[in-house]
Amino acid sequence: MKHLEEAELVEHYYEESANMADSERHLKACPVCAKRYAELCRDLDGVATPTPPARREDYIEQVWQSIGASLPVYEKPRRSWIRYYRPLGWAAACVLLVAVTFVAGRRWERKQASSVAVAVDPHARQRVVIVVLGDHLDRSERLLVQLNHADGNDLSASPLRSEARELLASNRLVRQSAVQAGDLNVEASLDRLERLLMELSNEPDNLTEADLNRLRQEMNTDGLLFDIRVLRSWVRSPGPEQQSAPATKGVPI
Amino acid sequence: MRWMEESDDSIRRAILSGDKEAYKVLMARYTQIVFRVAYRITGNESDAEEAVQEVFLRGYQALATFQGRSSMATWFYRIAANCALEVVGKRRPEAQSRIAEENDPERSEVQLADIKAGPDRLLLSREIEARQQAAMSELTPTERTAFVLRHMEDRSTEEIAAALNIAPNAAKQAVFRAVQKLRRQLAPLWVNT
Repeated sequence: MKHLEEAELVEHYYEESANMADSERHLKACPVCAKRYAELCRDLDGVATPTPPARREDYIEQVWQSIGASLPVYEKPRRSWIRYYRPLGWAAACVLLVAVTFVAGRRWERKQASSVAVAVDPHARQRVVIVVLGDHLDRSERLLVQLNHADGNDLSASPLRSEARELLASNRLVRQSAVQAGDLNVEASLDRLERLLMELSNEPDNLTEADLNRLRQEMNTDGLLFDIRVLRSWVRSPGPEQQSAPATKGVPI
Repeated sequence: MRWMEESDDSIRRAILSGDKEAYKVLMARYTQIVFRVAYRITGNESDAEEAVQEVFLRGYQALATFQGRSSMATWFYRIAANCALEVVGKRRPEAQSRIAEENDPERSEVQLADIKAGPDRLLLSREIEARQQAAMSELTPTERTAFVLRHMEDRSTEEIAAALNIAPNAAKQAVFRAVQKLRRQLAPLWVNT
């Protein structure tokens, strides 16, 4: 039989043993441990618990006199106000932050937009117009050259007509831009081109040599081709000197 | 006093709001417990009184940090155990047991009973008391406090650990070491009986 350690006996005495029932059973069954436990009880029971002497009636007052002067008065806490309003403060700060961010964003956006506008107008915008106009004039010139050189062996109007319909839409836009810009020369040339494109778009599929000649004469396609070439030369050299003195040299055919 | 019927927490709030005098009510409520613990740990009245002053001073200063997780009685009890422990630790080097000639209860010396002084029972009783005092003074402050809280104040190991701010196992060991030392010191008495 394994005897109880002294620490276990002490735990049993103070009723803090993890297995009180087991140690109790062991102490009943083991005379050696029972004797040791009896000695422990005798020793610890013999340790007297001192009774503190009674205090005088004015003892508390006496203690207060000795410490009272050194005790600071607590200030009425303002923290309670802060505690109640702190969440509101945070909410207000968040709202303010969002508002400031929004306003700053709007201002930044406006600034960016105005700078973009400045960038586009006038130089960038002019470059875009030149590219679009140049492309339109190139295609129109090719169409006029084809029309001027078409003969009796090449009388299918279908490719010319489809090209004329596509150019008709873009020509209207370009002409309106010229009107808005107040460029009357360009506007007049594009107006003539538009009338030709309109006629060509509405021609029947089978064109005769006579139909072609009539169209060339009525629309003065040679003169129109010359105007288009002049316009195209302006577009390719948009400097002030060339604008004032347009090149007369056309595109080699 | 107008605060006598109020709860501890109401009084605490009043003190923290600037009513310093309300602290006297808490002192009146807990002086007895605080003094009893301090007296049993320090072993003499003057040290206990010093500890009591320190307890109420610290209690007032720490009142704002009291969160009510334990009762205020337990809170003051812990402060009392700590303050008494410090007082014992402070006095310990000069508190070596000496055999006194006179029977002066205010002195910390051990008065051994005169063997020729009276009947056997009285002699034994005085002998035990004297030996016990001597044995208690041999304990370390932690052992002494742990033993007092366990044996005299009937506190659990967990409560002792919390009061001394040590681990429960360390508290249990401190009690066990104190018991061993006391038994060794008191053993000669039982040989003669």
